[in-house]
Amino acid sequence: MAERGVDQKEEKKSYGSVFVLGAGILAALSLWAFLDDNITRRPWKGFQAKFYRLDYNKAQAAYDEEDKKLQADDKYKELSQKLAAFQASLADGEVGKKLNSQIAEEARVTVKFQEADQKVKDVKSELEEAWYEHDHAVQQKRKIEPYLEVIAALDKKKAVLDKELEPIREKRNQLKDEIKKIQSGAKEIETELVKMTGERDKWIRVMENVTFKLGPFTFPKIPKIQQVSLDEFDRNRFDQPVARVDRCQTCHLAINRPGFEKEANPYKTHPRREVLLADSAHSPDKIGCTGCHEGQGMAVNGVKQAHGDVHLWEFPLLRGAKVQSSCTSCHQDVQKFAEDAPLLAEGQRLFEQVGCTGCHLVKGYENIPKIAPSLKKISAKVDPGWMVRWIENPHKFRQRTRMPNFDLKPDDALAVAAYIWSQSKEEADQWTQTHPAPAGFREGDPNDIAKGKKLVETIGCKGCHGFADGEFSTPLGKSKDLVPNLKDIAAKVVGPQWIYHWIKNPRGFEPETRMPSLRLSDDEALSITNYLMSLGGRPDPVAGIQEKLADAKNIKRGEVLVRKWGCFGCHDIKGMEKESRIGAELTTFGSKTVEELGFGNRTDVKHTWDDWTYFKLKTPRGYATERIEQLMPQFNLHDDDIKALRTLLGGFRERKVGQRYLADQGLRVQQVVEGRRLMQQYNCVGCHEIEKQGGFVRKYYQENVALAPPPLNGQGEKVQSSWFYSFLKSPTTLRPWLEIRMPTFGFSDEHTTQLVNYFNGLSKVEQPYHYIDDRKFPAENLEAAKILASAEYFNCFSCHVQGGKNPEGPKEGWAPDLAMARQRLNPNWIIKWLKDPQKIQPGAKMPSFYPGGPDNILGGKEDRQIEALRDYLMSIGRGAAPAAAAAPQVPAKAKPAK
Amino acid sequence: MNKFGSLVLAMSLVAAPAMAAYEGGDVKDGGSISGSVKFKGTAPAPKKLDVGKDKEVCGKTAKMDQSLIVEGGNLVNAVVTITDIKKGKKIELKKVQFDQNGCEYTPHVVAFPAGTTVEVINPDGILHNVHSYSKVNTAFNQAQPKFKKTLEVKIEKPEAVEVKCDVHGWMHGWLVATESPYVAVTDKSGSFKLDNVPAGSYTVEVWHEKLGKSTQKVTVKAKEDAKVTFEVAGK
Repeated sequence: MAERGVDQKEEKKSYGSVFVLGAGILAALSLWAFLDDNITRRPWKGFQAKFYRLDYNKAQAAYDEEDKKLQADDKYKELSQKLAAFQASLADGEVGKKLNSQIAEEARVTVKFQEADQKVKDVKSELEEAWYEHDHAVQQKRKIEPYLEVIAALDKKKAVLDKELEPIREKRNQLKDEIKKIQSGAKEIETELVKMTGERDKWIRVMENVTFKLGPFTFPKIPKIQQVSLDEFDRNRFDQPVARVDRCQTCHLAINRPGFEKEANPYKTHPRREVLLADSAHSPDKIGCTGCHEGQGMAVNGVKQAHGDVHLWEFPLLRGAKVQSSCTSCHQDVQKFAEDAPLLAEGQRLFEQVGCTGCHLVKGYENIPKIAPSLKKISAKVDPGWMVRWIENPHKFRQRTRMPNFDLKPDDALAVAAYIWSQSKEEADQWTQTHPAPAGFREGDPNDIAKGKKLVETIGCKGCHGFADGEFSTPLGKSKDLVPNLKDIAAKVVGPQWIYHWIKNPRGFEPETRMPSLRLSDDEALSITNYLMSLGGRPDPVAGIQEKLADAKNIKRGEVLVRKWGCFGCHDIKGMEKESRIGAELTTFGSKTVEELGFGNRTDVKHTWDDWTYFKLKTPRGYATERIEQLMPQFNLHDDDIKALRTLLGGFRERKVGQRYLADQGLRVQQVVEGRRLMQQYNCVGCHEIEKQGGFVRKYYQENVALAPPPLNGQGEKVQSSWFYSFLKSPTTLRPWLEIRMPTFGFSDEHTTQLVNYFNGLSKVEQPYHYIDDRKFPAENLEAAKILASAEYFNCFSCHVQGGKNPEGPKEGWAPDLAMARQRLNPNWIIKWLKDPQKIQPGAKMPSFYPGGPDNILGGKEDRQIEALRDYLMSIGRGAAPAAAAAPQVPAKAKPAK
Repeated sequence: MNKFGSLVLAMSLVAAPAMAAYEGGDVKDGGSISGSVKFKGTAPAPKKLDVGKDKEVCGKTAKMDQSLIVEGGNLVNAVVTITDIKKGKKIELKKVQFDQNGCEYTPHVVAFPAGTTVEVINPDGILHNVHSYSKVNTAFNQAQPKFKKTLEVKIEKPEAVEVKCDVHGWMHGWLVATESPYVAVTDKSGSFKLDNVPAGSYTVEVWHEKLGKSTQKVTVKAKEDAKVTFEVAGK
């Protein structure tokens, strides 16, 4: 019977199955949510768990191996047995019995001691009481004698008791000592064993590190995100400092641990960890990983995400050598990283020396001088027909030239030449008139040519120039010569007149040139001119070339073209002094996104920054279209050079890393960077080895390296700055046995200072000046050193020149004039040099005299002998003229310096 | 030491002897290798050296260039070694002498097993220096003034080390260190002998400072002498 409003049937219906289903779904969803949250979305947990197992197993294996070694070690066995025997004996053997009896005895003696002690204490109390009575009597003015009697009696009693107590105390202490001795009998063995097992037992700690204990069970460690937070590392769009969080080490757990070098990532140890991740370098706990490697440091939800290989993430992981791009974010001096960042170092050198900065502005590279010669007097220098052909395609004449190919049409090349020619005419004609053809020039005389060739090969021309195919001194990347190869020079120049005056005084023709003077005599210059005029045929004459170059229409068109192609980026051209760089600024080129790069109509280039940049350098006009013209010329760079340049370009980013993370940016670093740039521009490394690099001319001196220019590693520490400054300004003869000459570069005061600072910076010289006070040399030292230097002992002057007095024998066996030491050498360096010349200059002819000094001088104390020799060397040049004063600035016929 | 480190160490410990791999011991019924080294071609005329310094000591006798001496068609001062011997007689390290008397190294070429100490003697009473041009061994350049009559240097690793005196540019000689004790320098008749060689087949090498290396296969029978003649062509 149905009640109104109540659906009986509905009431009786069972929803059990629905509930069960619902509960089931809920449970499944919960489980799924749990799994998804803990496993699917946290792949790092798997990585960590796997790593902990790996670490544990490695540690276990290492432990076992060490243990095996120990077990095979007889000493270990002996010690362990000794210890075990002792412990056994202590537990229930003889030692144990002895110990127990001692302990029992000690307990008995202690009781006895306490009893005796108590008696003494009682007497003491009685004494206190007696004294009180005595004092009381004194105050009440009673008789005190009876009290004194009592006190005396008690004193006597105490003395007897004290005497009884003493032996008991001694006995007790003795027993205590004995017990202690027995108990610690194994100490020594234990200490020695700990020393022996240290190597093994440290692996226990490693194993403990990746596990935890719960009761009797051991579990693997629970995975946990490992993050490094870097305060004020970055700056946001509002230029406020913000923190960066790196979680890379959540998976890369062994990045700063040795022993995982051969594992696959993410467990691999960082290459060159000891250097690159050292506390003083890039400790990952202090500066994280993404500062160098990029990627999405915070992401831990997947490998791709963490590495930043996701759409619109601007800084994907820099793989392999690309990481070198990042060095410039914090380091000012990157060229010193020739070993760790070779591509970057090479890229920077190329960037500065191939001429990129002629057209492109980049912050930090604004002041690089124009790399190419001035064209203000070009018509006095080159053949006009050659010039047109050169402008059309320079690589045809000189394959390794730095000048790029603009791919000009012949009439455009002619127009450009016409403009440049006409602009130079006036100044050039003037120069030609004041520099007449040399008298006595015997063109084609084979003897003279041979003489010139010999000079070119010996006096130092080859330190920079090549004179045959494939010959060069200083390479610039893999495809360029820093200095022109002169194998066809006669086919380029107007004639011998220009060559003669140019080589005699390069700055007389071009005040800014980097070509130095070798202080040639007239005769030498004539012979060299003759030799150079024999290299390559004379230029092919072009009919009517002078008229074409003088044609006003051509000149006018040429001016437009020179402006368009930006020739003034690398050359000084009269009338183009106020033009600015024609290329795009590249200061932030490395942070450009793919969307910001124009690929033109090219479909063969992958849409990445890397590929765009590679092909831009490979085929500079490859992205041009019908509507978009591209001007960048073809440099013909080797693939490796392109990759090096790309590495540098990748580092041109908009990054402002927090001050505290930056490498040293101090004055010394700036001086090194600045000075090195100058040193490279002047190609000092063509002849000298500097920073353990270069010295390319040495390849011609393999027979006798002693005849090559000296290496300048550590030069800042070796010489006095004031001397060095004067020497660079005006070189004087240091090594009369050398045929190769140190040229006169005509450095400005500023450049000379920069060079001295560079060498001082490299050597970390704190104190560049030295004042030599003769009064401070102890007479005893000078006397002793005189004997040491004599033929009886070290015979220094067997090889060293002495104040202009030459030693016996052929020149190549000579060594520098010791009378120059006073002005030239740093006294502290002399000490270091005498102690071990080979350490300062491997292969030096100077032998080590120490250790092994004579016993009978200055008490045989070698340090004192070395100091004495230093004092002596600093004193023998006394009164000598200052180093530079002797030589005039650019002497016409002066004795060549070497 | 971590495991990786110890692994590397263990490997190097195992690998180093495997490469150096000469094991000395008793040789039973050893044979010998003897023979001579002939010079093929026209022997160059002996060259007189220019003694331009310390003439009163160095110029007593005429100095001849020692770098290529051929006596009656025999090549002198060539070093003969067995290059591939792994096991043989014990290496006995005896001090060898290298005399600078009269500003000339005598003998011009000394050969010995690596690890030998060379006693350089200076009876001249003037300054010499002993400058090694070595690549495998650490190069040294030690002064030997008048008061230092002897000086000791040790050549630790196998290498032909050229030694020069920078004070007297003409002085040069060779210290040749070998892996095994089987080494001899040819005498005036160009002959040499390597004795106590276990029976077996070996590669015998002749090295000369100017003429380089040449090798021959030689089989040694127990208690017998294997004869071998080298012919080295002039360059």
